Parts: sequence; C-alpha cells; structure tokens
Amino acid sequence: MTTTVAIALGALWLLVIALTIAVFALARQIGVLYERVAPMGALMLDDGPKVGEQSPVFNLTGLQGESVEIGQPDSHGRLVFFLSPTCPVCKKLLPVLRSIADTEAAWLKVILASDGDEARQRKFYAQFDLGRFPYVLSTELGMSFKVGKLPYAVLLDESGTVRAKGLINSREQLESLFTAKELGVESIQQYLQKA
Amino acid sequence: MSPDVVIQHALAAAFAAMFTVGALQKLSDREAFAAAVDNYEIVPGALIGVFAWLLPLTELTAAIALLLPSTRPLGAALALVLLFMVTLAIAINLVRGRADVGCGCGGLEDEQLLSWPLVARNLILCVAMLPLLPEAAGRGLHAFDYLTIAGGSLTLFGLYATASQLIANRPRLARIRPAR
Repeated sequence: MTTTVAIALGALWLLVIALTIAVFALARQIGVLYERVAPMGALMLDDGPKVGEQSPVFNLTGLQGESVEIGQPDSHGRLVFFLSPTCPVCKKLLPVLRSIADTEAAWLKVILASDGDEARQRKFYAQFDLGRFPYVLSTELGMSFKVGKLPYAVLLDESGTVRAKGLINSREQLESLFTAKELGVESIQQYLQKA
Repeated sequence: MSPDVVIQHALAAAFAAMFTVGALQKLSDREAFAAAVDNYEIVPGALIGVFAWLLPLTELTAAIALLLPSTRPLGAALALVLLFMVTLAIAINLVRGRADVGCGCGGLEDEQLLSWPLVARNLILCVAMLPLLPEAAGRGLHAFDYLTIAGGSLTLFGLYATASQLIANRPRLARIRPAR
C-alpha cells in the first residue's frame, strides 16, 4: 500500500514539475515570438538602409544648437549611437563610447541620438556630462534606421555608406562594428559563417 | 496558528531560490543594476554605488536565513521588508507615469518593465511570505514530506518564473496589437 502511494506521489510531483517547466518555456517562447513579430509589421513599410547602402541624409540640430549632418559625404565617418535615459545598458556603454571617440577621432564623429521628453534628455545629458558629443533628438532618424531595441548603433563611413549596424549589448559588440568595417563584412557573424 | 512545517520548508526554499537568482544576476552585472537603480530616481546619486551592493547582498542574506529553520522568521521578516520596499519603489514610479523604466529585478524572465501586474505579483509574494513569520510547530518528517517539500518548492519557483515571464511579455504584446 505504502509503495503504491509513494510511487503515485512521486510520479505526480515529477509530472507537475515537468508541466511547470513546459509552461515556463512556452511563456518564454511566446515572449520571443512577440519580439520577432513586432518588426515584421514594419517590414512592409521599409527595411531601413542595408549595410553597403547609402544612408538617408539628415540635417539635424543638437541639444546645444550644434548642427549635425548624417549621411552626407564628409571628411569623417559617423557612429550614430541610439540611446535613451532609461536604458541601463546605454549608460554602461558611455565610457566605451568616450574611448572610441578618442581612439577613432582621426576619421570618426560619434553622435548620440534619442527621442522623447526633452527635459529628461537634457537632465541625462548634463548628468553624464555628454557635452563632447553631438546629441540629437529625432524620431525620424530612429525610424529610418528601423531602430527597435536600444542601445543600437549605426556605423557610416566617410562617404555616408552604412558599414555596420546592430543592437549593442556590450563593449565587445560595439567594437565588433569596427572589426566588421575593417573586414568589409556586414557583421562578424556573417564573417565567421564564411570562414 | 502556525502553519505546518512542510508548508514552511517548501515556501522558504522557493523564496530562497527566487532571492538567490535575483541577487546573483544583480551582482553579475552590477553596472547595469546601478543604472537601473538610477532610473528609479529614488536613491540619491551619491548612494547608488553602495545601494547596488547592499540590495543584492541583503537578498542573499535573506535567502540563506530563510533556508535555516532557526533563522527563518528573521529571514522572512527581512525578505518581507525588502520586497515591500522595492514594490513601493515600483509603485512610486508608476504613479509618476514612468512605465518605460526597466525593472532591474533580475529573474529568469526576459527584460522586465515596470507595470502594475508586477506590483500585484510582489504583493502576492508578500502575502505568501506571512506563513514564514511564526516559528513552525516541530514534528518528525516522514519520507513523503520530503517529496512534498522538494516538489512543492520547485513548482512554486517555476510558477513564479512563469508569472514573471508572462508579465514581461505584456508590453511586447501591446506593441504588436493593431492600434484601434
């Protein structure tokens, strides 16, 4: 009798735990699906400039009234870094951006781009001492590059051609944009697949 | 009336797992957690660095205290205060109209934004913590009791992770829902 109950209980618990794991996995996959489906609707409008294509041209004004040109041939390339004051990873990458702006200063201008509540943006700008970077607020800019998740970066060369772009979560990913440009590939993933 | 010791063991183990996962994630990326704390705009700037250490370490302490029956009521009280505090911080930001702030909670789910369901989840957790406050009536444990404790705690933790994931999914669903 006891054996029967023990086996029944043990089996039940195993099944309950297995079901719980299955439900969690399903919930997670649904989350991933929502994420994937979101840009799909936008695909119908426009896919944003691909790597190797010319960037759309923008003439914007930054927070300090500085004029910011994106997409035109220029003596310097552009790293357009999309961020927001409420994105923790963006803040984490600010020191990396500073060091990139220093080491690549010879050919590159780093531009910060965001949109939304200007008062909050100005506070963020002052708090993190971002005065050295041009800082533009433009919803259109983000839309034209199809920026979904932040932080997102687009690397343009001197001619205004998109050389690399993508969602950035770490210093390594940010640096990989430059490696991708040097190797002349769209992304490091693509390079590794070819090799 | 104090709850049965088996219920306590199962609840305590599930809470300990929850706090441990949360604490380890916060400690593994402390910079991101500090930035998340900063986003709440509650802790003054100068204290954020200290706070980013203090909160996960308190979580870990509560988790360990919950596991040991002798310190369990103490651990439960600590966990309850902690949970209530962070829930209050979430509610304050929601009242301020800031639902676009990352939670920084750390869990098995994907990126979590602040939302009222998150507050509701935490309040339910607070209520579930109450049976851990009184000392349990001691009784000898039968072999089946261990089965109940192991199965119960794993299932509770799984349900918590699932609820969190579903809450994290909500804003994404809202984004793809056609505008009316």
